[in-house]
Amino acid sequence: MKISYNWLNKLVPTHLDIDEFCEKLTMFGLEVEEVVQPGKKLDNIVIGKVVSVEKHPNADKLSLCKVDVGKSEPLSIICGAPNVVKDILVPVAMIGAKLGDFEIKKAKLRGVESFGMICSEKELGVSDEHSGIMIIKQDIEPGTPFADAMGINDHIIEVEVTPNRPDLLGMIGVAREVAVMLNTEYEHPEIAFEESEVKTKDEILVIIEDAEKCPRYCARMVKGITVQPSPAWMQRKLVASGLRPINNIVDVTNYVLLEYGQPLHAFDYTKIKDKTIVVRTAKDKEKMMLLDDTELKLHSENLLIADTEHPLALAGIMGGLDSSINDNTKDVVIECAYFDPKNIRASALEYGLQTDSSYRFERGMDPNGLIEVIDRAAQLIQLTGGGEISSGVVDCYPQKIEPKVLPLRVSRTNSILNAKMSADEVENYLNNFEFGTKKTSEDTYKVMIPTFRPDIEREIDIIEELARCYGYNNVESHFWINRIDNRQKRTVVRLAKNHLISLGFYEVNNMSFASPDDLDTLKIPENDFRRNVVELTNPMGEQFSIMRSTLIPDILKNVALNLSYKFENFKLFELNRIYLKEREDTFAEPTYLTGVIVGEFDPFYWKEKQRAASFYDVKGVVESVLSKIHCSKNITYKVSHQPYYEKDSAADIFLDEKKIGSCGIVKDDVLKSFEIEAPVLLFDIDLSNIIPLYNEKDIRFREIVKYPPVLRDIAVIAPSDIEVGMIEQVIKSVEPSIIKDIQLFDVYTGRQIKQGCRSLAFNITFQSEISTLTDRYVDKLFDNIVKKLLHEHQIELRQK
Amino acid sequence: MKEQIQEILEEARRSIPSCESDKNLEELRIKYLGKKSSLSGLLSKIGTIPKEKRPQMGAFLNIVKKEIAQLIEQKKLELHEKADALKTLGLDVTMPGRPLPIGAKHPLYQIWEEIEDIFISLGFEVAEGPEIESEYYNFDALNTPSWHPARNPQDTFYLKGGMLLRTQTSPMQIRVMEQFKPPLKIISTGRCYRVDKMDPSHLPVFHQVEALMVDEGVTMSDLKGSLDSFVKRIFSADTRSRFRPHFFPFTEPSAEIDILCINCKGEGCKLCKNSGWLEMGGAGMVDPTVLEEVGYDSEKYTGYAFGLGIERIAMLRYGISDIRKLVTNDLRILKQFQ
Ligand SMILES: [Zn+2]
Repeated sequence: MKISYNWLNKLVPTHLDIDEFCEKLTMFGLEVEEVVQPGKKLDNIVIGKVVSVEKHPNADKLSLCKVDVGKSEPLSIICGAPNVVKDILVPVAMIGAKLGDFEIKKAKLRGVESFGMICSEKELGVSDEHSGIMIIKQDIEPGTPFADAMGINDHIIEVEVTPNRPDLLGMIGVAREVAVMLNTEYEHPEIAFEESEVKTKDEILVIIEDAEKCPRYCARMVKGITVQPSPAWMQRKLVASGLRPINNIVDVTNYVLLEYGQPLHAFDYTKIKDKTIVVRTAKDKEKMMLLDDTELKLHSENLLIADTEHPLALAGIMGGLDSSINDNTKDVVIECAYFDPKNIRASALEYGLQTDSSYRFERGMDPNGLIEVIDRAAQLIQLTGGGEISSGVVDCYPQKIEPKVLPLRVSRTNSILNAKMSADEVENYLNNFEFGTKKTSEDTYKVMIPTFRPDIEREIDIIEELARCYGYNNVESHFWINRIDNRQKRTVVRLAKNHLISLGFYEVNNMSFASPDDLDTLKIPENDFRRNVVELTNPMGEQFSIMRSTLIPDILKNVALNLSYKFENFKLFELNRIYLKEREDTFAEPTYLTGVIVGEFDPFYWKEKQRAASFYDVKGVVESVLSKIHCSKNITYKVSHQPYYEKDSAADIFLDEKKIGSCGIVKDDVLKSFEIEAPVLLFDIDLSNIIPLYNEKDIRFREIVKYPPVLRDIAVIAPSDIEVGMIEQVIKSVEPSIIKDIQLFDVYTGRQIKQGCRSLAFNITFQSEISTLTDRYVDKLFDNIVKKLLHEHQIELRQK
Repeated sequence: MKEQIQEILEEARRSIPSCESDKNLEELRIKYLGKKSSLSGLLSKIGTIPKEKRPQMGAFLNIVKKEIAQLIEQKKLELHEKADALKTLGLDVTMPGRPLPIGAKHPLYQIWEEIEDIFISLGFEVAEGPEIESEYYNFDALNTPSWHPARNPQDTFYLKGGMLLRTQTSPMQIRVMEQFKPPLKIISTGRCYRVDKMDPSHLPVFHQVEALMVDEGVTMSDLKGSLDSFVKRIFSADTRSRFRPHFFPFTEPSAEIDILCINCKGEGCKLCKNSGWLEMGGAGMVDPTVLEEVGYDSEKYTGYAFGLGIERIAMLRYGISDIRKLVTNDLRILKQFQ
């Protein structure tokens, strides 16, 4: 539904600027989808006064005009219109103005320069008139912007009308709604005209044969009219609402449609046989020719408007070709009816005819609003085409449709909204909606629902209307959740656990007590933080006398136990708190993740030889867990000197500068003191520093890079004490934005390689996000990598 | 010589049909018909026998060679047919696929997660708190009288310096209430400690889940409703609960919760010691004193709380009769919970 804001303001002055109004309207339930400003397109178009007109020296049909546009000098403009004369006011598109896609520029027409264009109404999009230039009758100062002068500085508001609200398909209905919204009044158009001596009922007879499909049918007559173009103001309103002006009769029916939402139909009186309108269902296989030249083959469910012989219209959907208004029509019959929505919907669907008319009848019009509408139409036809309005309306309404009466409880309303509206407030809102009210007790009303609101069927429907008045955003929010949010920890813990489980780890659960001897067995030095243990005053024995400060002893005991049950290859982890004394009476309970790999890493497979797990297996586990919990970016590994690892067989894990754990091969004698005779790989990570970094909202889609990656291998010979991590850093540093990935794929030491060196081969991925990389550019980067490795680190390219 | 040839033939007649693969068959072909085969050897020795017997012996040798060649050819065909049959099958689908690792969460933690998820779906938030607590949060704020036996070192672990190991998750309820105003709907979960000898039904370290709801108009019906919703989800839809009056310092009225025995449904069995009911935990309406202690208006707000043991729930769900099984970490047990 397109609403002209100027038009609306005539019906109900809003006193709001457009943005404020649209915001309010949306919050009231009429969602504003778009606002367009047709006047915007008319920039650089001003009112000009033609001060002189001369013949073009080289063209008969062109005139050379001087036009005053409010500047010191009048403009020279060439005009081809026949109606251009001296001293009229005209719209002038000046240089820079845009008419559609056409921009006005300085032009030379047959050797004479022209500095603009005098426009027709059609060119300006205000009507369909194109026989000459537009002549402005009002007295307006030259130079005034055209849009301002013509009042088309309008805003057209496109709102979404939900299918349950047919009453909002016309300006009057919208004005009523806006008046409720603003708690104010709106105006109906003033309807007044004189009727002739002729009585309508003597001129036309209406017979309803199927009152179920057509409960009410009204007709009026206007005799002796002239079919002609409708006046500019009407055309402008139609164009603004997206309708094409045709002639005054069609335009009036459309105009009233815009005003009231009620579709009308106009018949040429002379085409109605026997002066009789019969509202009946079609005979099976009855044929009719529609306005748009399509022929329908009908059946007995289709409702027709007919005369005594032929169909005149497919009721509520489209008129027939034969009875339509033409330029010679003198006497018009106006139809204004209420049809059964279901029947209209079925017929419209059946023939694929979705018209402005069917669209509205399908949703249900107001059966009791027809007289006002038909009077309005008669008034406007007379206004635009002259003629005489016959006296009275032929109103065929066999069974009056009464307004519904529904009970409403104020207390119920308040309890649904958690509001405290008084009965008076409620009544006031209801009356604004034009709902009739009768108080039946302190708390209850009988509410009479006008027939223009078919959507209100139950008490709760009324409460919804009251809720809109109360304001959805004035309803208090009563909430529980999202204050104590431990999702972060829960998510990290579950991700880590689930990941380890899918790698074949079993979770263990040990009690929190420990023996002080455990720390000695692990050779933990006296100054280590794990020596700050929490001591119990009443322990259940010496071996339970402290709270554990590391999960490692317990899990090693679990290993010993399970080895004794003849399990040889297995993986365990525990995720639990450790307990540390920080000061005299402050304690810390960080969460640790500790795991072991015993024996072979992969499950036994008949096809392949098994291999014992190595340092790189446990490191791989650590890397994958950290990456699963979004913590791999700032992680580095350095050789570990934890006393319970074999020398040069373990790494400490750092998050930025902070040590957060370690992994590696457990020392033989440590294992022996736990009575373990198999090699054990261990990892031990403090999750407390990682959990706060986790944010599920970090996961964001990244557009896939359009430009293909380029892969290159590089093989180098490097001194054995240079770490791969360092080499990767050097490579990356050559062009971090292009070098996306570096993958180690071969390590070799042997006869062909210098003593104390190793051969390392990497696969490097080059990719740009902004262009396709050329071979030459990649070659250059590759050279730079080679040079940097050689000059800064004495790492040579391996000769093939 | 004839016997030797006969012997070779017999052997070939036995070995060739039982051959399993092309490769094997080729080995046999070389053995019997190759240049260095025993038959070839015998052929070269044919000159050593009497001249008149040579043609006969030669012919016999050829017949034998022919038969062996035939046997091999026949076997070859057979093998290929078999191979074709295998090929149409694609492969031996009964052989194990590459075994990928499967681990398992500890049964106790599986149940713990399930409990959390049920309560989350009922609109509760999850709070965790410190296990090392002060006497204030563990006892005083929870309205525990100074003479209450739970405060004894025979029941509660104390730390050097005066702190203690929480005996219940309730202290966290206090901490949350101190921080947030009603409405409140939380569970607190975690490890608790009590001085208990390890036996089939006791561990000094155990886990609890405790629910707390505080708002205007919260009634004992809400308590029963949320508890029932929970036990029906964690056990089965026909689980019922009943309340027995009891004493807890921080609730008034207080109750002990029983559920209808999940094993015998009330008929009486070993699990429920023939009572038809299983003891599950404690519950009650939050004592106004506790609400006032955290600065709530106890006239305006009411609340309920109930606490359940996670080990107990896990044991009932899995049919574990000895609580110590939950801390042995024996892979023979853990592997059952994949
Ligand atoms: Zn039982």
